[in-house]
Amino acid sequence: MKSFKIYNATELWQRETSLPSVATFSQSLDNMLGTAGVQLGSITELLGLPGSGKTQLCLQLCASVQIPKDLGGLDAEALYIDTNTNFTISRFREILSASLLRCQSILEGPLQVTEDQALDKLHYVNAFGLEKFCAFMYTLPKFVEAHPNVRLIALDSISYPFKEGISTKQRTGLLFRLMADLQRIAVENQIAVVLTNEMSTRVGLASGAVVGSLGDAWAHRCNARVLLSTPHQHTDVSEPTHRLALLLKSNVSPSAVARFQITAEGIRDVE
Amino acid sequence: MITMQKLKDLGLNHLSEAVLKRLTQNHIITLLDFLQEDEMKLSALTKLRLNVILSVRAEILTKFSAPIINGTTLLKRISETRTVLNTGILSLDSILLGGIPVGYITELCGLAGSGKTQLSLQLAVNCARRLENTILYIDTKGDFSAIRIQKILDANGCSHKDMAEIMYRIRVVHIWTMEDLVELFKSLNDKTLIINNLALIIVDSLPCLMMQYIGDENKIGFNLLNTLVNYSRFIGNQLNVGIIYINVQTRWIDNDILDVEDDDMSSALREPTYIEKRNRCLGKYWQNIPAVVLLLEKLEDSATDKDSAQIKVTVINSNIARNVNSQCFLNLNALGVI
Repeated sequence: MKSFKIYNATELWQRETSLPSVATFSQSLDNMLGTAGVQLGSITELLGLPGSGKTQLCLQLCASVQIPKDLGGLDAEALYIDTNTNFTISRFREILSASLLRCQSILEGPLQVTEDQALDKLHYVNAFGLEKFCAFMYTLPKFVEAHPNVRLIALDSISYPFKEGISTKQRTGLLFRLMADLQRIAVENQIAVVLTNEMSTRVGLASGAVVGSLGDAWAHRCNARVLLSTPHQHTDVSEPTHRLALLLKSNVSPSAVARFQITAEGIRDVE
Repeated sequence: MITMQKLKDLGLNHLSEAVLKRLTQNHIITLLDFLQEDEMKLSALTKLRLNVILSVRAEILTKFSAPIINGTTLLKRISETRTVLNTGILSLDSILLGGIPVGYITELCGLAGSGKTQLSLQLAVNCARRLENTILYIDTKGDFSAIRIQKILDANGCSHKDMAEIMYRIRVVHIWTMEDLVELFKSLNDKTLIINNLALIIVDSLPCLMMQYIGDENKIGFNLLNTLVNYSRFIGNQLNVGIIYINVQTRWIDNDILDVEDDDMSSALREPTYIEKRNRCLGKYWQNIPAVVLLLEKLEDSATDKDSAQIKVTVINSNIARNVNSQCFLNLNALGVI
């Protein structure tokens, strides 16, 4: 006989509020998400056209997860699952150093961590192709068990492994199975999951032809969906590009818009 | 299994100790053995007359058949038990003719982000606020947010003591596979899992589990769905609870050809018309399972109040024909759904 763990809402509230969210380094974005960042235990999907900042935001979050506890951070590690080779270590190093410097300046003292130690707190997997991706997802429980301090899993991108070699029906079935396993891990171990997804075109929809890929059923699966966009691209490089984020769906906050920019240091507010 | 029960445990007339002993010696032990044996042979074995054997058989059948109840008793029974569960939202209660039907399956469906989870969180809160109701919230996609529940209660001016009591009565269980969901309902059914004062079960959401079987050849998902439906109906009736399942809608596009009457127009001038169609998930079998289906649609955000959204709720299917197509509008904001 299987027994089920039944919580009451008070217990869950204590659990949900026991650890902080992963901050984005943009107050505007944090406020929009309603939980002062990306919530642990839930799946957040980042949508947007190429160049809208999905990968950059993932990199920033992988750095933010290291914010020391003194500053209300998690002082934890991140796992980056790269399915389309978007990740560049030099860019991550840049964002990580800038984030740690910022923490130092607020704390008014040196951090007890070297750059190498900080870089070791990122675990990177290149899961290129459907087979490699699925195989890794099946070993994920073991990885999480061996690395209990991982608090963020970034999956960039979720749609890439499914681009070929699988029928639409099989894709939906497989995606929902993988997500159930992933979220079980996230909920049980209090880990935030951030996915990126591409946009696709569906002609004839009343709400507009450009929608997130993987279909309407998939839209139902994630707990929060954020659409990133760059409405005005400056031709002058010295001008910072203002970017927008729209909260399409969330289980905690109303729909809202945030403004942010991507600088050399990472994700920042628009001054 | 009823048919495997032992004859001696049933206390049937005419079957004395001596008769039972003789039957046992001849390997006629269970009900099934007795019913399948030839009457003449039984008569010879037990030294009972044939009409006695036949009357024993008739007694067995009466004992185990479903009981016949007359209309008056049924009506009385219904008036004595609760039949609807107030949602605590007046306009919603009025289109549901009182509230969520008890003992039946209710479905909430809508596109992703249409407010299904928000409405079900609100229903859990409203139901737990009244009396001693306990709610079982079955979360299959990590969407239950205790923080949101606490915020709703706080915004409504609830004291900390009340808040704790209400939240204590909202029970949450995480379920990740269809097998586990069936197992959970089974344990509610055979009373190995008892939740006191249970009034409402919310499953958020069923497609998250069922879609794991899409693309499988063996259709095992539908087998499990069928079992689940049977357990749900039984539990609904036995425990006198309302059961809400959350379902999703998906869209597809039909590329329709314009009316034939427009023939005089040259075909090159015709714009192709696209018609957006919506489909409730979970397949044909499920479509007529729920007694009531509520469709949720989020209306375009109003420019005046950006922290508030309007949700249109329509009864699109109901076993009480009177309320089909009735509609109401709900507001979703920091106070919850009102």
